[in-house]
Amino acid sequence: MAANRKDIPTIDSSELRELADKLITACHILDHEGVTDGYGHVGVRVPGADAFVTIANISPGFVTRDRLIMQDFAGNHLDGATTPPNEWPIHACIFKARPEIVSVAHTHSKWSTIFSVLPIKLKPLHHYGKFLSADGPPVYEGVGLVRTLERGNELAAALGDGPAVLMRAHGDAVVGESIEQMIERTTRLAMLGEWNHLALLHGQPKYLTTQELEVYNADQRFPMRGWEYFVSRLSGSKNQLK
Amino acid sequence: MAAAEYTGPAFDSSELKELKAKVVNACLILDREGITDGFGHVSVRVPEQAALLTIAQVSPGCAALDKLVLLDFDGNFLGGAKPPPYEWPIHACIMRARPDVMSVCHTHSKWSALFSVLKKGLRPVHMYGRFLPVAGPPIYPSAGLITSVERGTELAGALKDGAAVLLRAHGDAVVGTSIEQAILRTVQLAFLGELSHMAAVHGEPLYLTDEELATFAGDRSFPARPWEYFLSRLGERRIA
Repeated sequence: MAANRKDIPTIDSSELRELADKLITACHILDHEGVTDGYGHVGVRVPGADAFVTIANISPGFVTRDRLIMQDFAGNHLDGATTPPNEWPIHACIFKARPEIVSVAHTHSKWSTIFSVLPIKLKPLHHYGKFLSADGPPVYEGVGLVRTLERGNELAAALGDGPAVLMRAHGDAVVGESIEQMIERTTRLAMLGEWNHLALLHGQPKYLTTQELEVYNADQRFPMRGWEYFVSRLSGSKNQLK
Repeated sequence: MAAAEYTGPAFDSSELKELKAKVVNACLILDREGITDGFGHVSVRVPEQAALLTIAQVSPGCAALDKLVLLDFDGNFLGGAKPPPYEWPIHACIMRARPDVMSVCHTHSKWSALFSVLKKGLRPVHMYGRFLPVAGPPIYPSAGLITSVERGTELAGALKDGAAVLLRAHGDAVVGTSIEQAILRTVQLAFLGELSHMAAVHGEPLYLTDEELATFAGDRSFPARPWEYFLSRLGERRIA
């Protein structure tokens, strides 16, 4: 059991081991796909508990099992490494506000950052953006790190019930009902940002309409195959979890 | 046509061995060259048959001999791995409409996706674009997956007798009289898309004229060498 909470399993326990390894793989994917640089983190909810696991002040690109940390939603240390990421409230406050969310990514994606400082929205112009609304993700205007519960709650409010929020002059926070969905969304948001940027250089692109997005979202066969492919791309790289 | 009417070579027959390896390598090439991401597929017509080989719901970068599927043009399963790709009608409907086409590539190429939502066409600014019309490939305007024969037939109608069609908010479909040609065109379409984009950012580029394109297209000694080059770039991923 976690050191300070007898009701919560440890990171190394059989209950959490698979989730913890998937969290590490998710960090490596975001690094390999060029979405994170030296910063950013992925959090995963401890099932059924007011707690989450994230990475302990280390770049997503080289996180290892001994650099995972578990905290509760108030920031209390529960297990693992002892240096929480500065911005742990991003995870705590979003998990608290959104019970259906299993995983949160926070990145400094170049494409989220650029649209966080433009009057132009990052809007879906490809069906990869089917998880977004037609007018794109909201922007959290409060500049600076999200190191307090107050700011974490503001960020969660800006996210609302959406899949992603841009953070002005900073990056983004992207959520999913699984680690795989969070990865799919984070990587596709970066692709869409790049494609919006490219298209806007030529004038006004033809965006997808609300109606078109609804049609995609009604089609449950619409594939979300990214995870398997992204994992295959880690193979042979220094980042592959052994 | 019912599946039982298929009289061509069986999925496991030696006749299909070479084509199967070529489809896998073609998929790996599109991945290696940065054209496909997790999605897309390459198909080849079974010679003389209303049937095709493609990959079975796997990322092109993860293609393998045991992940191929044989389908007839109605989507009936004739052998190999299941399930078929959602968008099998792209391949079946184009091959049915175009007896000259032996291979179809469908990708979410960034450059095709880009020009699919712009007013300006992906027009040839380089002689690699000799397989395109001067105004660039047509755009199939209806967003969404091509999961029905109806939409596949519409797409084939938009392609007409051309080499490539862009799919709005989606990507492209590129055809060839061989796998090698379809792959070469797909890679070159992406190259052209990037060039057109970069040039157009600076103003109106000097596009190739109809006459100039006709001169290139008429030159049979124009090299089609890259298949060998693309294979070499696969390194150990290449399958024999």
